[in-house]
Amino acid sequence: MGVTCVCQVPVAEGKSVQQTVDMVHKKLEQLGAVKQGNFWVDCETYHATGNTTGQPSKLLYVMHNSETPLSCMALFEGGPGLTADANFDVLMVKLKSHFQNAKGHKVESRGTRYRYCDFLVKIGTIAMSSSARGISVEVEYCACVIPGDCWNLVKEFMQSFLGSNTPELPAVFTNKAEGLYAPVDCTDTMSQYLELFGKVRKQQVIPGSGVR
Amino acid sequence: MEAPPVTVMPVTGGTINMMEYLLQGSVLDQSLESLLHRLRGLCDNMEPESFSDHELVYLLKGQQGNPFMLRARRSLLHPTAPWHLRYLGQPEVGDKSRHALVRNCVDVAASHSLPEFLNEMGFRMDNEFVAKGQVFRKGVMKVVVSKLLRVLATGNTENTEPLSLSYLVELSVLAPAGQDTVSEDMRSFAEQLKPLVHLEKIDPKRLM
Repeated sequence: MGVTCVCQVPVAEGKSVQQTVDMVHKKLEQLGAVKQGNFWVDCETYHATGNTTGQPSKLLYVMHNSETPLSCMALFEGGPGLTADANFDVLMVKLKSHFQNAKGHKVESRGTRYRYCDFLVKIGTIAMSSSARGISVEVEYCACVIPGDCWNLVKEFMQSFLGSNTPELPAVFTNKAEGLYAPVDCTDTMSQYLELFGKVRKQQVIPGSGVR
Repeated sequence: MEAPPVTVMPVTGGTINMMEYLLQGSVLDQSLESLLHRLRGLCDNMEPESFSDHELVYLLKGQQGNPFMLRARRSLLHPTAPWHLRYLGQPEVGDKSRHALVRNCVDVAASHSLPEFLNEMGFRMDNEFVAKGQVFRKGVMKVVVSKLLRVLATGNTENTEPLSLSYLVELSVLAPAGQDTVSEDMRSFAEQLKPLVHLEKIDPKRLM
């Protein structure tokens, strides 16, 4: 896994989510990127029941990524994370009296995967309860694992098809101590998706987005 | 850099309910060698695997009912290997003629942040121990001969003392629910280990 950046692209003025996604696809294809299948990333929310101290119960997020189909990542916001195999979902079912699945909170991003030389670009439509809520863009530079060394290159590449929507260096990388390395188990990527999904959950429903 | 295959449903290899069939017994230290000798003869022809594991038992106390128990195990011989998290359900009651203890089992491999993560979930460590021994296999059956050691200072696996003067012998099979021929096969194998060791179905509730 190389250095990965996840950001959001706002829906273009007067266009629908699907139309904006198509516009980004077109730009990538003009650059010379090659379509390479599909991808999905999803996030389920569990909250702890039986909290006797009266504090708001902790939220546990369980995420899956099609790049690592046999794994899942469990995260507490701002807390420790765990990478486990797919049986962790079965374990969460056993724990249902202690951790309830907030089914309406499931967010997922699905879309196409493009390859351009050493870059992997994934454009996804973020959906919650089958209504499109936004667009996610994930750019991975597979040749490098040190964000400090390749950020300028990644940013320049993103500018070529995202224009002014190019983000700044993600907080996950600036918060790390020196010697920034992207960990092999894609924790950093999933934290970025988690942050993005959190933002999208709080946003209002885009009028006219409807069912895809 | 080909896209991994994406199916409509996420690939989850373990959604079938797996059951663990278990028979247990023990041998005194001085009888260990003869048991190992017989197992080497009866079991599949391969070098018996030695292990040295540190197991922590975590409990989550809920508002009602019994606390939820999880067992987290790591290898002391292979410190970089993933942790093994195990949930064991209540033993299935009913069929008294069934020869082995049957209970639901969920096994999850997890990264090294497991203890910290379990604490964040609300689990608290109840006890820990070290198990050292050997694993033998015969087809789907697994025979584990282990010495259980008490950890004297929490978290310090160097300082241990044996829990007893014997070795625990466990014969187990992991199979999907509903395969009742499994306990028959286990019983016939257990017969071959008599009189060195008597493997029987031990109900954990009777020990509480």
